[in-house]
Amino acid sequence: MNAWIGLKAVYDKEMLTYFRSPIAYFVIAVFLLGTGYFFTYNIFLTGVGTMDQTLQNMGILLITLSPVLTMRLFSAEYNGRTMELLMTLPLRTWQVVLGKYFGAVSMLVLMTAASCINLIPLYLYGNPQTLNIVAGYIGFILLGMACIGIGQFFSALTENQIVAALITIPTLLGFWFVGHLQSLQSSLLLRDLFAHLSFALHYGDFIHGLLRSEAITYFLVVAAVALTLNNSYLQWRR
Amino acid sequence: MIDIEHVTKRYGSKTILHDISFNVNKGEIVGFLGPNGAGKTTTMRMIAGFTAATTGTVRVAGFDMATDNQLAAEHIGYLPEQPPLYDVLDVTDYLTFVARAKQIPAVQRASQLDRVIHACRLESVTRKEIYKLSKGFRQRVGLAQALLGDPDVLLLDEPTAGLDPGQIQETREVIREVGKNHAVLLSTHILPEVTLICQRVAIINHGRILATGSPQGLQRAAEETSSVLLEASGDPDQLKRALSDTDGVTAVSLRPVASRAGFYSIDCQVDTQEQVESRIARAVISCGELFRLERQQPTLENVFLRYIGHTNEHSNGASA
Repeated sequence: MNAWIGLKAVYDKEMLTYFRSPIAYFVIAVFLLGTGYFFTYNIFLTGVGTMDQTLQNMGILLITLSPVLTMRLFSAEYNGRTMELLMTLPLRTWQVVLGKYFGAVSMLVLMTAASCINLIPLYLYGNPQTLNIVAGYIGFILLGMACIGIGQFFSALTENQIVAALITIPTLLGFWFVGHLQSLQSSLLLRDLFAHLSFALHYGDFIHGLLRSEAITYFLVVAAVALTLNNSYLQWRR
Repeated sequence: MIDIEHVTKRYGSKTILHDISFNVNKGEIVGFLGPNGAGKTTTMRMIAGFTAATTGTVRVAGFDMATDNQLAAEHIGYLPEQPPLYDVLDVTDYLTFVARAKQIPAVQRASQLDRVIHACRLESVTRKEIYKLSKGFRQRVGLAQALLGDPDVLLLDEPTAGLDPGQIQETREVIREVGKNHAVLLSTHILPEVTLICQRVAIINHGRILATGSPQGLQRAAEETSSVLLEASGDPDQLKRALSDTDGVTAVSLRPVASRAGFYSIDCQVDTQEQVESRIARAVISCGELFRLERQQPTLENVFLRYIGHTNEHSNGASA
């Protein structure tokens, strides 16, 4: 119970901070503009009534936008000298790490929910496959959870928010594109490895309506590893 | 409440603290005095659990900070050198966050908040965003945060830095009040601060505790600074002779004031604790006119040296 109170305190502080500063509004606005554009382009201009291509584009948008959400998580605490408070309050580091993480994930869920507005015309004028769309959105959230975990870890490594974002973006892009290396490999082992590491390939499963436990586990494991590293790093810093 | 034993702190090859030991008891305000860069903040951070000691033990409220810092944290209120504030939050939201993180039960939260807001005189800014506050208010919000939960141990890193004289007075009152039933460690580089509110003082320089003892010793040392400056007119030889013959004056140096003909700026080295100023004044008046006389303000460095001299002579309570 006590553990929950501390985590909730950090979480609530994070949510307040998001909405008292321009970041949340900026990220949500850019995300909605982007998804709106992709949706219009993919559905109205091509006339294909599925969300496949839109969700694919949303994935890449998320990879480039999530670092903006995560870059400040710890960097701003170092910079504002508030880390000293967080680390000396009766909070355990994992409470801080998870409180922040759940805050960022809540933002992700919020902006994903807001983007569902695109589905209204799709359902009004088309005949979309609901299961595919639901699976796609679940995949999108899971992909986001992995991205946020990685971004949060990198944010803990530097005082500079820009540097945090600049390390996170290429790392996430690397995870996204690593699947393409597959076709260049002759070794079966490497092909397998690259396939298993790829954000894009796992995310693709969801877009195509597959809820594979391997893909779900993969994104959750990436997030868990990043958060564990984050926690250990903060403890080591003492 | 705070026990530091043989603590050394190294960052890489650089040693910040060399084998320091001291303690702070309940109901005691201890001043931690030293120039900037002496190791005050590092020591504070170590006691607060923000950094760990390289060797030695730090105990707060009976808990070893190396292993039980989480348990100890419930007993510590800490105001870092730069108050740790979230600029975008308003004062109430910020203090509520800290109260919740300190696990203050919901039923007590409102009364605790009221108490610290009142103690730190923040009533007029409770709903103001922190980035809009002046430096004095920011410092006091930081202090309010430290006071939340009524911690047994209060660590205040330069709590009056950046405040105006009125605010300094008020802040000292708050600290004095809190010090009655808590253990307070207060770092500062301002001499009068420790003599005014601390029962005991630890002097630190270059990462070593030079002395611990009563502020009275410090006061004596401060009063004994060895130089009296004056400005006078008259015959320079006569002035010099009269001053040299004065009891307690060991050396006189005299030079003309460039901007005013016939005026001399005189520096008297004195070696006595007694009131030598009046004898100097009489000596000058006997052969010229006196325009200004002042005891040179003590610098931290020379007070250190004198204070250490004292504690060695009397060795009362010195446990450096």
